[in-house]
Amino acid sequence: MERGVQQTRTSPVALSLSQLRPGQRGIVRQADVAGDDAALLRAMGLCCNAKVRLCRAGEPCIVSVVTGNGAGCRIGLARPLAEKILVDPE
Amino acid sequence: MSTATPQSDTRPAEAPTAAPPLRIALLGNPNTGKTTLFNRLSGLRHKTSNFPGTTLEARVGRIRVVVPADGAAPAVERAAEIIDLPGIYSLELDQLEAETCRAVLAGRAAPRGQPVAEPSALCVVADATNLPRSLMLVGEALRRRLPTVIAINMIDLARRRGIHINPAALEQELGCPVVCTSARTGEGLAELELAFARAAVPRQTPPGAEAGLRAWADTLYAAAAAGEPDQDADTLTDRLDRAFTHPVLGVAVFALVMAGLFWTIFILADIPTQWIEAVFGAATEGVRAVLPEGVIADLAADGIVAGVGAVVVFLPQICLLFFLIALLEDTGYLARAAFVVDRLLRPLGLPGHAFVPLLSAHACALPGIMAARAIPDRRERLATILVAPFMSCSARLPVYILLIGILFRDRPAMAALAFVGCYGLGIVAAAGSALIARRTILRGASRPMALELPTYKRPSLRTAAMTTWDRAVVFLRKAGTNIMAISIILWWLGAYPHVPPPADAVNLREAAVAAAPAEAEQLVQEADRLEAAHQKANSFAGRIGRTIQPIFEPLGYDWKLTVGVITSFAAREVFVSTMAVMVGGDEEDEQVLDTIAAAQRDDGTPLFTPAVCWSLLVYYVLAMQCLPTLAVTAREAGGVKWALLQLVWMCGIAYLAAMLAFHLAS
Repeated sequence: MERGVQQTRTSPVALSLSQLRPGQRGIVRQADVAGDDAALLRAMGLCCNAKVRLCRAGEPCIVSVVTGNGAGCRIGLARPLAEKILVDPE
Repeated sequence: MSTATPQSDTRPAEAPTAAPPLRIALLGNPNTGKTTLFNRLSGLRHKTSNFPGTTLEARVGRIRVVVPADGAAPAVERAAEIIDLPGIYSLELDQLEAETCRAVLAGRAAPRGQPVAEPSALCVVADATNLPRSLMLVGEALRRRLPTVIAINMIDLARRRGIHINPAALEQELGCPVVCTSARTGEGLAELELAFARAAVPRQTPPGAEAGLRAWADTLYAAAAAGEPDQDADTLTDRLDRAFTHPVLGVAVFALVMAGLFWTIFILADIPTQWIEAVFGAATEGVRAVLPEGVIADLAADGIVAGVGAVVVFLPQICLLFFLIALLEDTGYLARAAFVVDRLLRPLGLPGHAFVPLLSAHACALPGIMAARAIPDRRERLATILVAPFMSCSARLPVYILLIGILFRDRPAMAALAFVGCYGLGIVAAAGSALIARRTILRGASRPMALELPTYKRPSLRTAAMTTWDRAVVFLRKAGTNIMAISIILWWLGAYPHVPPPADAVNLREAAVAAAPAEAEQLVQEADRLEAAHQKANSFAGRIGRTIQPIFEPLGYDWKLTVGVITSFAAREVFVSTMAVMVGGDEEDEQVLDTIAAAQRDDGTPLFTPAVCWSLLVYYVLAMQCLPTLAVTAREAGGVKWALLQLVWMCGIAYLAAMLAFHLAS
């Protein structure tokens, strides 16, 4: 959480996924998640440069990963993971 | 269409029967409809086993592949086997499922009963609605350099979303057959079967590094697909999710769905269960009528037929539960249910996925434990399996009814409260045990949830029926044989050795000969009961009961109750019939509760004092008294040690709690 707050003060404004407003879009910049979880999230589509949209805020949240030309998927994420994924909001 | 070069192993065989069957491995992300595709291709011609050293399900189906005419060689049909690999997000992940896939593709492992050899072809099932991600797995698979076919599944859903995919362009680029399919509607399946014969080693080897692979997949996708850019709002899914994943409304919907599920099982499973009981009851009598009286007849009727019955009687519940769960899963709702309850179960160290197994265990622990397969994390799965039998199953009900009936006669409000208390005690014990297990033997960080929420769709009855069939076969073959063996042993312990009738019974029978017909019948009945009670008391089970009665002394049980507790290991409801035989009365008799309630100890004091009732009630809520459950636990957890742990832990807790209850109530 602290990391996300710090990042909001820097430019460009990066937020953690859990700080997005419902419906807000962003581009994943960094996923600071521990080992196995990071690999799984990347394999599920939550990798750097992935376009995301927050569908439901809160704990847990739902994020939609948009991979172009209408393709994509939805992932339910617990807060400990969502907090560690940094996005550039659109 | 084809730019592929046929491989040596797909060349038409002159004598197809002599050639070994083709072995095609099905690989794909979760939620790509891979299992539906497998079911469509193989139908019921498949076997379910597991991958050696794991409890991962391995299904092998038999299909026919037509190898087209090639020059002088005529077209021939060849037998082929398809292996359904576990669904994975990446071959490179450090998890059991991915390791199993890697081993099978490298020819280091095969489903149990299959020769360990490299598969002759690989079919990667991609998701048309999320092709860029699927192409990552395709890329990893192509690096294995196996003859490959790519099935782009769920093409109907993609089309509806406005995504257009050009399989010819992909085929051109990769050099192996690419077919668009919809396993749900059957579209493209004939083409896929033909493509199996053309499986080709890909022309290119995608980059191994993740970033390079991603760029490769994105480029490929851009070349092969067209659609509305950035159009990610699936409005129906959005709207449904707004309700189903809402923190309050979502839980309410979940509660309703689960109530509906179990109500349906409760109503529907009861009917075939009664048929099965009737059929086996008749079979027992039939066997007795055919065979001469003696050991063989006893073994056949009360041992084998009743033992088979004890297995089959669980089938309706198991089949219905898995059929309905498979339907719910196929709609996409089950992932939302896990999402909603994750927050509630997380503090106990259990994931949202554990809810269905734990709730199912309220009907019967067996299907509950089998349903725990859906839990991805091994430790969380084991914890769920260990605590599931604490839930008050329907077999405990007759015992609750008996004891609460004695405790709160004519006080229905208190009786209802006591019922709720029994269920609550079981849930609290399960929650506490899960907490303890996750902090000791199953310690490990709780994996925070990262759960894909698949697109909502109409469920396939076929897939649900197939899943049900698989579960039923596994249950009958694996657990069933153990349960039957246990039933026969317990029957033997209860029925042997035969002892001569007690003097009282002999006297009664002699008196009956001289008495009037109406009175004689009563005397004979009483003699029968005395004989049965005498037999029970002197059987091996009875002797064991007497021997270990001192252990149960602190709980307030005399030797008769101890025998009841011992015989309950076959099934808890047996307690009522055992007590009926031990203290008198006929189980069918409506007065049986009164008779049991009035039972006395050997010294003439009342047996069922309130303290003893409470102690028994607590013991039956908490104790592991179900050998079939232990057999299934050993199987599903992957070792007898888990079953033993469950037995010792549950009985230990039950013993201490029952002792406490006895002393508090005394």
